[in-house]
Amino acid sequence: MPERGRTTGRADQQDHGQVPAQAGRQERGERVAELLEAARAGSDEALGRIVAEHSPLLWHVARAAGLSSGDAEDVLQTVWLRLLAHLDDIRTSAALTGWLVVTARREAWRVRAAGRRQVPAEGEALDTLPDQGAGPQEQVLIEDQRRTLWVAIAQLSARCQELLRIVAFVPRPDYSAVAAELGMPVGSVGPTRGRCLAKLRILLGLDPEGSLI
Amino acid sequence: MTSSSSSSSSSSSADAPLDDLDLGLLDRVREMYQAADPMPEDLPERICYLLALRDLEVEVARLAAGQDLLASAARGTEQSRTITFDSDSLTIMIRIDANGDGTVRVDGWLAPAQRVGIELKTSASADALSASSDEQGRFAFARVPRGTAQLMVRPEGQGRSVVTPALVL
Repeated sequence: MPERGRTTGRADQQDHGQVPAQAGRQERGERVAELLEAARAGSDEALGRIVAEHSPLLWHVARAAGLSSGDAEDVLQTVWLRLLAHLDDIRTSAALTGWLVVTARREAWRVRAAGRRQVPAEGEALDTLPDQGAGPQEQVLIEDQRRTLWVAIAQLSARCQELLRIVAFVPRPDYSAVAAELGMPVGSVGPTRGRCLAKLRILLGLDPEGSLI
Repeated sequence: MTSSSSSSSSSSSADAPLDDLDLGLLDRVREMYQAADPMPEDLPERICYLLALRDLEVEVARLAAGQDLLASAARGTEQSRTITFDSDSLTIMIRIDANGDGTVRVDGWLAPAQRVGIELKTSASADALSASSDEQGRFAFARVPRGTAQLMVRPEGQGRSVVTPALVL
């Protein structure tokens, strides 16, 4: 696994918030490792906390694969049941996140291939965002930003949409662990931006047009 | 962003390390999907119920082809509903009727018919309701509080337990 934290001593990178990421990794790493150990020892509470914390990620992995809500629920149940059998092999936060994403993705593909109750790609629309109506100004601003982002993401390839949706839910300290599985290139200091994020930045006008490699 | 830390690549280069802008963008992406397509709030709880059995062999039954749990739940609380679940070893059919006092009656049939213990875990109570099927595979729960519920069939001996996905009563 690439050591992302190794180069974080540089002042310019500290300014960009890399140090908290490293601290976050240690903190999350220890906490999740303890929960895993307690779960192995039979603690339902520890297992429950692991499930509560990671289920949203798995939900979005399954939904990003185009599954209906019902199928996504089935995928989550299957994945968590399967984890019980693998608790002995999974001892770190990174291993857990990596295993969960890989397993959920494969299971989602399997269910999708079985052709059950597929949701058309177009089935999900921004209409599904809760309409805040004439709420406070701040809320309107947030809605506007979401809409802008939604429109930009909709212009990306299906593959990029899926990738960004999954990565957005992966705990940052575990990016490296899932990067390879998701086809995110990993550089010498950790995961790189990748084409999908680079394209999204341009679509949102955050980077000058044409600088995409 | 003030300056790019890597010497050659521009700030938008795909092979640049993730910077604050990227991380902020991913935060917004997450927040957007959370709002647009939230995970059902009670899903982790239902999964935990399943995991607490610590039964690696448990089979999760699926809705029989052509049925939509949400659609059938949306049909309203007045009519009786029939739902069929399939698993490798068992088919479970249930009929749900409103009792008129805010509870529902659940009648069920198992195929192949067999006498087994059946539990109904509801969101209303920490304890599961228990019943047994008869030789014809029939079972009933006369008064079940409304809410989400999950049915579990526990064969005696070496058979695998079968649980249904959660359904809304």
